[in-house]
Amino acid sequence: MIHRIYNDPALRSNRVYTVMNSATPARIMLSDDHSFVRRGLRNLLESTDQYEICGEASDGNQTLELARALRPDIVILDISMPSPNGLEVARQLHESLPEIKVLVLTMHDSAEMLRAAVAAGASGYLLKSDDEKLLINALQCLRTGRHFVSPSFDAGLARQLFQ
Amino acid sequence: MNAVKILIADDHDIVRKGLRVLIEEHPGWVVCAEARSGREAVEKTVQLTPDVLVIDVSMPDLNGLDATRQVRKLCPRTEVLVITHHDSDEIAGAVLDAGARGYVLKSDSDRDLVQAVEALSRHKPFFTARVTEIFLANRGSREADPAKSLHNRLTTREREILQLLAEGKSAKEVASLLGIATKTCDTHRTNIMRKLNVHSIAELVRYAIRNKVVEP
Repeated sequence: MIHRIYNDPALRSNRVYTVMNSATPARIMLSDDHSFVRRGLRNLLESTDQYEICGEASDGNQTLELARALRPDIVILDISMPSPNGLEVARQLHESLPEIKVLVLTMHDSAEMLRAAVAAGASGYLLKSDDEKLLINALQCLRTGRHFVSPSFDAGLARQLFQ
Repeated sequence: MNAVKILIADDHDIVRKGLRVLIEEHPGWVVCAEARSGREAVEKTVQLTPDVLVIDVSMPDLNGLDATRQVRKLCPRTEVLVITHHDSDEIAGAVLDAGARGYVLKSDSDRDLVQAVEALSRHKPFFTARVTEIFLANRGSREADPAKSLHNRLTTREREILQLLAEGKSAKEVASLLGIATKTCDTHRTNIMRKLNVHSIAELVRYAIRNKVVEP
Protein backbone atom coordinates (compact mmCIF):
# COMPACT_ATOMS: atom_id res chain seq x y z
CA MET A 1 0.00 0.00 0.00
CA ILE A 2 1.33 3.43 -0.93
CA HIS A 3 1.37 6.02 1.81
CA ARG A 4 1.87 9.71 1.57
CA ILE A 5 3.29 11.73 4.40
CA TYR A 6 2.17 15.29 4.78
CA ASN A 7 1.78 18.11 7.18
CA ASP A 8 -1.73 19.21 8.00
CA PRO A 9 -1.62 23.02 8.29
CA ALA A 10 -5.18 23.09 9.59
CA LEU A 11 -4.00 21.53 12.82
CA ARG A 12 -1.36 24.24 13.34
CA SER A 13 1.12 21.74 14.67
CA ASN A 14 4.12 19.92 13.31
CA ARG A 15 2.77 16.45 13.84
CA VAL A 16 3.06 14.26 10.81
CA TYR A 17 0.19 12.10 9.67
CA THR A 18 0.14 9.22 7.26
CA VAL A 19 -2.87 8.87 5.03
CA MET A 20 -3.87 6.50 2.32
CA ASN A 21 -2.89 7.67 -1.12
CA SER A 22 -6.07 8.97 -2.69
CA ALA A 23 -4.57 9.14 -6.19
CA THR A 24 -5.78 5.62 -7.01
CA PRO A 25 -9.57 5.59 -7.08
CA ALA A 26 -11.28 2.69 -5.32
CA ARG A 27 -13.07 0.30 -7.67
CA ILE A 28 -16.76 0.05 -6.85
CA MET A 29 -19.32 -2.37 -8.17
CA LEU A 30 -23.04 -1.55 -8.02
CA SER A 31 -25.66 -4.19 -7.36
CA ASP A 32 -29.31 -3.13 -7.32
CA ASP A 33 -32.31 -4.23 -9.38
CA HIS A 34 -33.52 -0.63 -9.67
CA SER A 35 -31.90 1.14 -12.56
CA PHE A 36 -32.67 4.60 -11.10
CA VAL A 37 -30.73 3.70 -7.98
CA ARG A 38 -27.73 2.49 -10.00
CA ARG A 39 -27.87 5.61 -12.11
CA GLY A 40 -28.05 7.85 -9.05
CA LEU A 41 -25.12 6.05 -7.42
CA ARG A 42 -23.04 6.19 -10.57
CA ASN A 43 -23.68 9.90 -10.97
CA LEU A 44 -22.85 10.61 -7.33
CA LEU A 45 -19.64 8.56 -7.26
CA GLU A 46 -18.38 9.68 -10.63
CA SER A 47 -18.60 13.29 -9.49
CA THR A 48 -15.70 12.51 -7.12
CA ASP A 49 -12.25 11.39 -8.23
CA GLN A 50 -12.01 8.93 -5.35
CA TYR A 51 -14.14 6.22 -6.87
CA GLU A 52 -14.65 4.50 -10.17
CA ILE A 53 -17.54 2.21 -11.08
CA CYS A 54 -16.15 -1.00 -12.52
CA GLY A 55 -19.47 -2.78 -13.10
CA GLU A 56 -23.22 -2.93 -12.49
CA ALA A 57 -25.41 -5.93 -11.70
CA SER A 58 -29.19 -6.15 -11.35
CA ASP A 59 -29.63 -9.51 -9.62
CA GLY A 60 -27.85 -11.81 -7.21
CA ASN A 61 -26.31 -14.27 -9.64
CA GLN A 62 -25.04 -11.53 -11.89
CA THR A 63 -23.50 -9.84 -8.84
CA LEU A 64 -21.59 -12.97 -7.84
CA GLU A 65 -20.41 -13.60 -11.37
CA LEU A 66 -19.27 -10.02 -11.96
CA ALA A 67 -17.60 -9.75 -8.56
CA ARG A 68 -15.57 -12.88 -9.27
CA ALA A 69 -14.52 -11.52 -12.65
CA LEU A 70 -13.88 -7.90 -11.69
CA ARG A 71 -12.60 -8.20 -8.09
CA PRO A 72 -13.83 -4.75 -7.03
CA ASP A 73 -12.63 -3.17 -3.77
CA ILE A 74 -16.20 -2.59 -2.62
CA VAL A 75 -19.63 -3.87 -3.69
CA ILE A 76 -22.60 -1.61 -2.94
CA LEU A 77 -25.33 -4.17 -2.45
CA ASP A 78 -29.13 -4.00 -2.22
CA ILE A 79 -30.93 -6.62 -0.09
CA SER A 80 -34.30 -6.98 -1.83
CA MET A 81 -33.13 -8.36 -5.14
CA PRO A 82 -34.09 -11.36 -7.21
CA SER A 83 -32.19 -14.64 -7.13
CA PRO A 84 -30.44 -14.89 -4.71
CA ASN A 85 -31.16 -11.92 -2.41
CA GLY A 86 -28.48 -9.53 -1.13
CA LEU A 87 -27.93 -11.33 2.18
CA GLU A 88 -27.14 -14.57 0.40
CA VAL A 89 -24.86 -12.72 -2.02
CA ALA A 90 -23.02 -11.10 0.91
CA ARG A 91 -22.59 -14.52 2.55
CA GLN A 92 -21.18 -16.11 -0.60
CA LEU A 93 -18.88 -13.18 -1.32
CA HIS A 94 -17.62 -13.23 2.24
CA GLU A 95 -16.83 -16.93 1.98
CA SER A 96 -15.17 -17.00 -1.41
CA LEU A 97 -13.75 -13.48 -1.79
CA PRO A 98 -13.32 -12.05 1.72
CA GLU A 99 -11.07 -9.23 0.48
CA ILE A 100 -14.06 -7.63 -1.27
CA LYS A 101 -15.86 -5.32 1.14
CA VAL A 102 -19.65 -5.21 1.09
CA LEU A 103 -21.65 -2.05 1.80
CA VAL A 104 -25.34 -2.90 2.11
CA LEU A 105 -27.58 -0.10 0.82
CA THR A 106 -31.19 -0.88 1.59
CA MET A 107 -34.62 0.52 2.39
CA HIS A 108 -34.90 -1.87 5.37
CA ASP A 109 -34.74 0.32 8.46
CA SER A 110 -34.68 -2.66 10.82
CA ALA A 111 -32.22 -3.80 13.48
CA GLU A 112 -32.97 -7.42 12.56
CA MET A 113 -31.92 -6.84 8.97
CA LEU A 114 -28.80 -5.00 10.14
CA ARG A 115 -27.85 -7.97 12.35
CA ALA A 116 -28.46 -10.39 9.50
CA ALA A 117 -26.34 -8.33 7.11
CA VAL A 118 -23.43 -8.12 9.55
CA ALA A 119 -23.72 -11.85 10.23
CA ALA A 120 -23.55 -12.44 6.48
CA GLY A 121 -20.25 -10.57 6.38
CA ALA A 122 -21.21 -7.02 5.37
CA SER A 123 -18.80 -4.30 6.58
CA GLY A 124 -21.27 -1.45 6.20
CA TYR A 125 -25.02 -0.84 6.36
CA LEU A 126 -26.61 2.29 4.94
CA LEU A 127 -30.27 3.19 4.35
CA LYS A 128 -31.60 4.49 1.06
CA SER A 129 -33.37 7.18 3.07
CA ASP A 130 -30.04 8.40 4.50
CA ASP A 131 -28.46 11.58 3.19
CA GLU A 132 -26.36 10.83 0.11
CA LYS A 133 -23.32 12.44 1.76
CA LEU A 134 -23.24 9.50 4.15
CA LEU A 135 -22.55 7.19 1.26
CA ILE A 136 -19.18 8.83 0.73
CA ASN A 137 -18.45 8.59 4.47
CA ALA A 138 -19.39 4.92 4.44
CA LEU A 139 -17.18 4.14 1.44
CA GLN A 140 -14.30 6.01 3.04
CA CYS A 141 -14.67 3.92 6.19
CA LEU A 142 -14.76 0.63 4.30
CA ARG A 143 -11.79 1.68 2.20
CA THR A 144 -9.68 2.25 5.27
CA GLY A 145 -10.67 -1.04 6.88
CA ARG A 146 -13.32 0.33 9.21
CA HIS A 147 -17.02 -0.44 9.52
CA PHE A 148 -19.99 1.83 8.95
CA VAL A 149 -23.56 1.70 10.25
CA SER A 150 -26.25 4.23 9.36
CA PRO A 151 -26.75 6.83 12.14
CA SER A 152 -30.45 5.86 12.10
CA PHE A 153 -29.45 2.95 14.33
CA ASP A 154 -28.42 3.03 17.96
CA ALA A 155 -24.64 3.59 18.12
CA GLY A 156 -24.33 1.06 20.96
CA LEU A 157 -25.92 -1.64 18.83
CA ALA A 158 -23.61 -0.83 15.92
CA ARG A 159 -20.50 -1.11 18.11
CA GLN A 160 -21.70 -4.35 19.66
CA LEU A 161 -22.32 -5.94 16.26
CA PHE A 162 -18.78 -5.40 15.06
CA GLN A 163 -17.03 -6.51 18.23
CA MET B 1 -42.03 24.12 -28.27
CA ASN B 2 -42.00 24.77 -24.55
CA ALA B 3 -39.94 22.55 -22.28
CA VAL B 4 -41.78 19.77 -20.45
CA LYS B 5 -41.70 20.53 -16.71
CA ILE B 6 -41.28 17.52 -14.47
CA LEU B 7 -41.44 17.29 -10.69
CA ILE B 8 -39.74 14.36 -8.93
CA ALA B 9 -41.03 13.08 -5.57
CA ASP B 10 -39.20 10.32 -3.72
CA ASP B 11 -37.88 10.22 -0.17
CA HIS B 12 -34.60 8.58 -1.24
CA ASP B 13 -31.85 11.01 -2.33
CA ILE B 14 -30.22 8.41 -4.55
CA VAL B 15 -33.43 7.59 -6.42
CA ARG B 16 -34.19 11.28 -6.99
CA LYS B 17 -30.69 11.76 -8.31
CA GLY B 18 -31.01 8.79 -10.67
CA LEU B 19 -34.36 10.05 -11.96
CA ARG B 20 -33.03 13.57 -12.42
CA VAL B 21 -30.04 12.37 -14.45
CA LEU B 22 -32.27 10.19 -16.62
CA ILE B 23 -34.80 12.97 -17.24
CA GLU B 24 -32.24 15.69 -17.87
CA GLU B 25 -30.50 13.58 -20.51
CA HIS B 26 -33.64 13.97 -22.57
CA PRO B 27 -33.73 17.14 -24.69
CA GLY B 28 -36.65 19.42 -23.89
CA TRP B 29 -37.29 18.06 -20.41
CA VAL B 30 -36.54 19.97 -17.23
CA VAL B 31 -36.82 18.94 -13.61
CA CYS B 32 -38.57 21.96 -12.08
CA ALA B 33 -38.31 20.72 -8.46
CA GLU B 34 -37.85 17.74 -6.18
CA ALA B 35 -39.94 16.69 -3.19
CA ARG B 36 -39.12 14.29 -0.33
CA SER B 37 -42.66 13.59 0.91
CA GLY B 38 -46.16 13.35 -0.47
CA ARG B 39 -47.11 16.57 1.25
CA GLU B 40 -44.19 18.45 -0.27
CA ALA B 41 -45.09 16.98 -3.67
CA VAL B 42 -48.65 18.35 -3.45
CA GLU B 43 -47.44 21.78 -2.30
CA LYS B 44 -44.84 22.09 -5.06
CA THR B 45 -47.21 20.79 -7.73
CA VAL B 46 -49.79 23.41 -6.82
CA GLN B 47 -47.12 26.10 -6.82
CA LEU B 48 -45.25 25.12 -10.02
CA THR B 49 -47.92 23.21 -12.04
CA PRO B 50 -45.52 20.75 -13.71
CA ASP B 51 -46.65 18.83 -16.79
CA VAL B 52 -45.74 15.53 -15.17
CA LEU B 53 -45.32 14.55 -11.53
CA VAL B 54 -43.15 11.45 -11.07
CA ILE B 55 -43.99 10.11 -7.61
CA ASP B 56 -43.03 7.17 -5.39
CA VAL B 57 -45.73 5.29 -3.43
CA SER B 58 -44.06 4.79 -0.03
CA MET B 59 -43.25 8.19 1.39
CA PRO B 60 -43.49 9.79 4.84
CA ASP B 61 -46.22 12.29 5.92
CA LEU B 62 -48.49 11.60 2.96
CA ASN B 63 -48.05 8.54 0.77
CA GLY B 64 -47.74 8.81 -3.00
CA LEU B 65 -51.22 7.51 -3.75
CA ASP B 66 -53.02 9.95 -1.50
CA ALA B 67 -50.79 12.73 -2.81
CA THR B 68 -51.82 11.65 -6.33
CA ARG B 69 -55.51 11.97 -5.41
CA GLN B 70 -54.93 15.52 -4.12
CA VAL B 71 -52.88 16.51 -7.15
CA ARG B 72 -55.50 15.23 -9.58
CA LYS B 73 -58.10 17.30 -7.76
CA LEU B 74 -56.06 20.49 -7.32
CA CYS B 75 -54.10 20.44 -10.62
CA PRO B 76 -55.97 18.34 -13.17
CA ARG B 77 -53.54 19.45 -15.93
CA THR B 78 -50.64 17.74 -14.16
CA GLU B 79 -50.34 14.08 -15.18
CA VAL B 80 -49.09 11.68 -12.52
CA LEU B 81 -46.61 8.87 -13.13
CA VAL B 82 -46.34 6.52 -10.15
CA ILE B 83 -43.08 4.63 -9.66
CA THR B 84 -42.85 1.94 -7.04
CA HIS B 85 -40.85 -1.06 -5.91
CA HIS B 86 -44.10 -2.83 -4.98
CA ASP B 87 -44.75 -5.40 -7.63
CA SER B 88 -48.25 -6.31 -6.49
CA ASP B 89 -51.64 -6.51 -8.16
CA GLU B 90 -53.18 -4.66 -5.26
CA ILE B 91 -50.95 -1.62 -5.74
CA ALA B 92 -51.50 -1.60 -9.50
CA GLY B 93 -55.26 -1.29 -8.89
CA ALA B 94 -54.80 1.38 -6.22
CA VAL B 95 -52.61 3.44 -8.55
CA LEU B 96 -55.38 3.59 -11.13
CA ASP B 97 -58.02 4.36 -8.48
CA ALA B 98 -55.92 7.30 -7.28
CA GLY B 99 -56.07 8.87 -10.74
CA ALA B 100 -52.53 8.25 -11.99
CA ARG B 101 -52.33 7.58 -15.71
CA GLY B 102 -48.91 5.99 -15.69
CA TYR B 103 -47.27 3.32 -13.55
CA VAL B 104 -43.70 2.05 -13.77
CA LEU B 105 -41.88 -0.34 -11.46
CA LYS B 106 -38.48 0.71 -10.21
CA SER B 107 -37.16 -2.54 -11.64
CA ASP B 108 -38.51 -1.70 -15.12
CA SER B 109 -36.03 -0.35 -17.60
CA ASP B 110 -34.99 3.27 -18.02
CA ARG B 111 -36.60 3.14 -21.44
CA ASP B 112 -39.99 2.37 -19.86
CA LEU B 113 -39.69 5.46 -17.70
CA VAL B 114 -38.73 7.67 -20.61
CA GLN B 115 -41.61 6.33 -22.69
CA ALA B 116 -43.99 6.86 -19.79
CA VAL B 117 -42.97 10.50 -19.31
CA GLU B 118 -43.19 11.03 -23.06
CA ALA B 119 -46.74 9.63 -23.23
CA LEU B 120 -47.95 11.52 -20.17
CA SER B 121 -46.51 14.82 -21.38
CA ARG B 122 -48.88 14.38 -24.34
CA HIS B 123 -51.70 13.50 -21.90
CA LYS B 124 -51.71 9.88 -23.04
CA PRO B 125 -51.74 7.07 -20.45
CA PHE B 126 -48.80 4.69 -20.16
CA PHE B 127 -48.70 1.23 -18.64
CA THR B 128 -46.18 -1.53 -19.31
CA ALA B 129 -47.59 -4.71 -20.85
CA ARG B 130 -47.26 -6.54 -17.55
CA VAL B 131 -49.27 -3.93 -15.66
CA THR B 132 -51.96 -3.89 -18.33
CA GLU B 133 -52.30 -7.64 -17.87
CA ILE B 134 -52.79 -7.17 -14.12
CA PHE B 135 -55.51 -4.58 -14.73
CA LEU B 136 -57.35 -6.83 -17.15
CA ALA B 137 -57.09 -9.87 -14.87
CA ASN B 138 -58.44 -7.88 -11.92
CA ARG B 139 -61.28 -6.16 -13.70
CA GLY B 140 -64.49 -6.69 -11.82
CA SER B 141 -62.95 -8.46 -8.86
CA ARG B 142 -61.56 -5.28 -7.28
CA GLU B 143 -64.92 -3.80 -6.31
CA ALA B 144 -65.82 -7.02 -4.54
CA ASP B 145 -62.86 -6.77 -2.15
CA PRO B 146 -64.37 -5.75 1.23
CA ALA B 147 -61.17 -4.15 2.53
CA LYS B 148 -60.92 -1.99 -0.56
CA SER B 149 -64.47 -0.74 -0.46
CA LEU B 150 -64.09 -0.04 3.25
CA HIS B 151 -60.98 1.97 2.52
CA ASN B 152 -62.80 3.90 -0.19
CA ARG B 153 -65.39 5.00 2.33
CA LEU B 154 -62.79 7.20 4.02
CA THR B 155 -62.53 10.76 2.75
CA THR B 156 -59.21 12.10 1.47
CA ARG B 157 -58.72 14.01 4.72
CA GLU B 158 -59.50 10.92 6.77
CA ARG B 159 -56.97 8.83 4.85
CA GLU B 160 -54.41 11.58 5.37
CA ILE B 161 -55.05 11.55 9.12
CA LEU B 162 -55.01 7.75 9.19
CA GLN B 163 -51.48 7.75 7.78
CA LEU B 164 -50.20 10.41 10.20
CA LEU B 165 -51.70 8.60 13.22
CA ALA B 166 -50.26 5.29 12.02
CA GLU B 167 -46.84 6.96 11.75
CA GLY B 168 -47.11 7.57 15.48
CA LYS B 169 -48.10 11.24 15.53
CA SER B 170 -50.43 12.45 18.30
CA ALA B 171 -53.79 14.09 17.55
CA LYS B 172 -52.23 17.40 18.54
CA GLU B 173 -49.29 16.96 16.16
CA VAL B 174 -51.60 15.92 13.34
CA ALA B 175 -53.79 18.95 13.97
CA SER B 176 -50.88 21.38 13.86
CA LEU B 177 -49.43 19.73 10.75
CA LEU B 178 -52.73 20.05 8.89
CA GLY B 179 -53.64 23.43 10.35
CA ILE B 180 -56.87 22.20 11.96
CA ALA B 181 -58.12 22.21 15.58
CA THR B 182 -57.17 19.28 17.81
CA LYS B 183 -60.86 18.75 18.43
CA THR B 184 -61.56 18.48 14.71
CA CYS B 185 -58.75 15.96 14.45
CA ASP B 186 -60.28 13.94 17.31
CA THR B 187 -63.60 13.90 15.48
CA HIS B 188 -61.90 12.67 12.31
CA ARG B 189 -60.16 9.95 14.28
CA THR B 190 -63.45 8.83 15.84
CA ASN B 191 -65.06 8.73 12.38
CA ILE B 192 -62.16 6.77 10.88
CA MET B 193 -62.31 4.20 13.68
CA ARG B 194 -66.06 3.87 13.31
CA LYS B 195 -65.88 3.46 9.54
CA LEU B 196 -63.09 0.89 9.70
CA ASN B 197 -64.68 -0.82 12.69
CA VAL B 198 -61.51 -0.67 14.79
CA HIS B 199 -61.44 0.15 18.49
CA SER B 200 -57.91 1.13 19.39
CA ILE B 201 -54.95 2.99 17.94
CA ALA B 202 -53.05 -0.31 17.81
CA GLU B 203 -55.75 -1.80 15.58
CA LEU B 204 -55.72 1.33 13.47
CA VAL B 205 -51.98 1.01 12.95
CA ARG B 206 -52.38 -2.64 12.04
CA TYR B 207 -55.07 -1.74 9.53
CA ALA B 208 -52.85 0.97 8.01
CA ILE B 209 -49.92 -1.42 7.61
CA ARG B 210 -52.03 -4.21 6.16
CA ASN B 211 -53.54 -1.91 3.60
CA LYS B 212 -50.20 -0.34 2.77
CA VAL B 213 -51.14 3.14 3.95
CA VAL B 214 -47.78 3.06 5.76
CA GLU B 215 -44.77 0.77 5.56
CA PRO B 216 -44.29 -1.78 8.35
